[in-house]
Amino acid sequence: MNSVVRLVATLTLLTGLAACEAVPAYQRGDLARTEMAFDPDPLESRLNQHIYFSKEASTGGNGVAAGGCGCN
Amino acid sequence: MHSKTLLALTSSALALPGVVAVSSAHADTPPAVSVLSYRASSYKEDDLDASALLAGSAERYDIKVHQLRYSAPVGEKYSFSLDSSYESMSGASPWYTVESVNGDAKVAMSGATIYEKRRDITASGRRYFDSGNLGISLTISDENDYRSNSMAVDGSFTLANNSTTISGGASYSDDELSPTDALLFNRIPSATKANSSAFVSVTQILNQFSILQSGISTARASGFLSDPYKLVDRRPEERNQFTWTTSWRRYFRAQTSALHANYRYYDDDFGVSSHTLDLSLHKTFRRSITLVPSLRYYQQDAANFFTPASDFLQASDFNSADFRLSSYGALSAGLKLNARVGKYTFVLSGERYKADASLGGSGASSPGIIDFTRLSAGIDFTF
Repeated sequence: MNSVVRLVATLTLLTGLAACEAVPAYQRGDLARTEMAFDPDPLESRLNQHIYFSKEASTGGNGVAAGGCGCN
Repeated sequence: MHSKTLLALTSSALALPGVVAVSSAHADTPPAVSVLSYRASSYKEDDLDASALLAGSAERYDIKVHQLRYSAPVGEKYSFSLDSSYESMSGASPWYTVESVNGDAKVAMSGATIYEKRRDITASGRRYFDSGNLGISLTISDENDYRSNSMAVDGSFTLANNSTTISGGASYSDDELSPTDALLFNRIPSATKANSSAFVSVTQILNQFSILQSGISTARASGFLSDPYKLVDRRPEERNQFTWTTSWRRYFRAQTSALHANYRYYDDDFGVSSHTLDLSLHKTFRRSITLVPSLRYYQQDAANFFTPASDFLQASDFNSADFRLSSYGALSAGLKLNARVGKYTFVLSGERYKADASLGGSGASSPGIIDFTRLSAGIDFTF
C-alpha cells in the first residue's frame, strides 16, 4: 500500500510538469485572488497545524516543517 | 481606489504562479503591502467520558492562544515577516490506561490540574528573483519543560512556460526536554531530540480558473521520542515519515466563490498511515465579506507498538497507550467570516472536531481520543 501511494505521488509530480493549457497573464486575474491562495490566512493555518499536530499522529505536508513543541 | 485594487490584482496575476511550499504561496515579487495581524483563539477539549475514567480529573485542556504577525516588503526584492504566539493551557491529560474486568480500557488522568505556557517566535526573510525566490526562517519555541530551536530554507523556480513552478525546502530542529517533577515520578530528567525534513512540490496552472499543487516530503525524528509524562511509554528512537499532499483551487466566477480541496497521505515506520481530506468554499459577497464553510476528514491506523492498556510488564521492547498512536478517525466542520472595512479586515472563525474510534483504520483503539471546539477572532491591518 505504502509503495503504491509513493508511486502515485511521484507520477502526479511528474505529470504536473506536462504542459497544460497556456493561460496568458491577462487571464490570470481570478487565479490571483486572495481567496484562491494556497494559504490565504497564515495565522489560522499555523494554529490549525499546531492543534492537529498535538492531537494526531500525522504531521508534515505543509512545506518546510516548523519547530517542535512539548505538545506531542 | 478601484484602479489601485486593479493594479495590485494585475501585478499579482503577472507574478503567478511563483508558488512555494505545499500550502503557502509566494509570487516572484515581494508583497505590495504590509500587513499586521492579530488573532485570539480559545480551544477547549471535551471532558473524558465518565465511563472511561479510572482516576483523576475528567477535565481536559482548555487552551488560549494569542498570535501576532507582521509581514512587509523590504525594497523591491526582499520581504520580511515576524510571527509570534503565546499559548496558555490548563487541565488534565492521560497518565496510564488499564483494562477493566469486563475488558473495557479505562484511563487514569493526571491527578492535579496542569498549567503550562508556551511562547514561540519565527523570523523569516525572502529574496525575490526574476523567476523565483529563496527564503530562510528561524524559530524558537519555549516552554518551562521544552525548548526547540529550528531553521528552514525554501525556494521556488518558475519554468519558462510560466505555468509551472518547482519548489523545495529543508528544515532542521534541535529540541531539549526537561520534564517537571522528574525525581518525584521517576521521569527522565532531561533528553534531546532532533527533527529534519525536506520537501519538493510542483505547482501547475491548469486553466484560467484552476491551479493544482502536489508535493512529497520526508522527515526524520531521532532521539527521545517517548512521552515522559506517561507512566509507561517506550518508543523507538528514530521515526521516518513520508507525506504526499495535493491541493486544488478552482474559482467559480458566477458564484464569486473559490473551492479549496486538499488531500494528504502520510505514513511512517511506527506503522502509522493516515488520510486527510479537507474541503472549503470561499464565498465572497459584495467584494468585502467572505464566508468560508469547511469540512475535514481524518483517519489513521494505530502504531504497530500501540497497546490499548499500558504495558506495565514491559513485555515488548516498545509500547505506548497514547491515544494519539491509536486507530481512530475524526470529522470536523468549520465556519469563518471575513469582513473588510477599508484597511481593516475583521475575522471570526470556529471549528468543531469530533473523533470517533469507529472511523479509524487498522489496529486497536483508545478511549482517550479527543473532541474539541475552537473559536477565534482577529483583525488584519493593511498599510
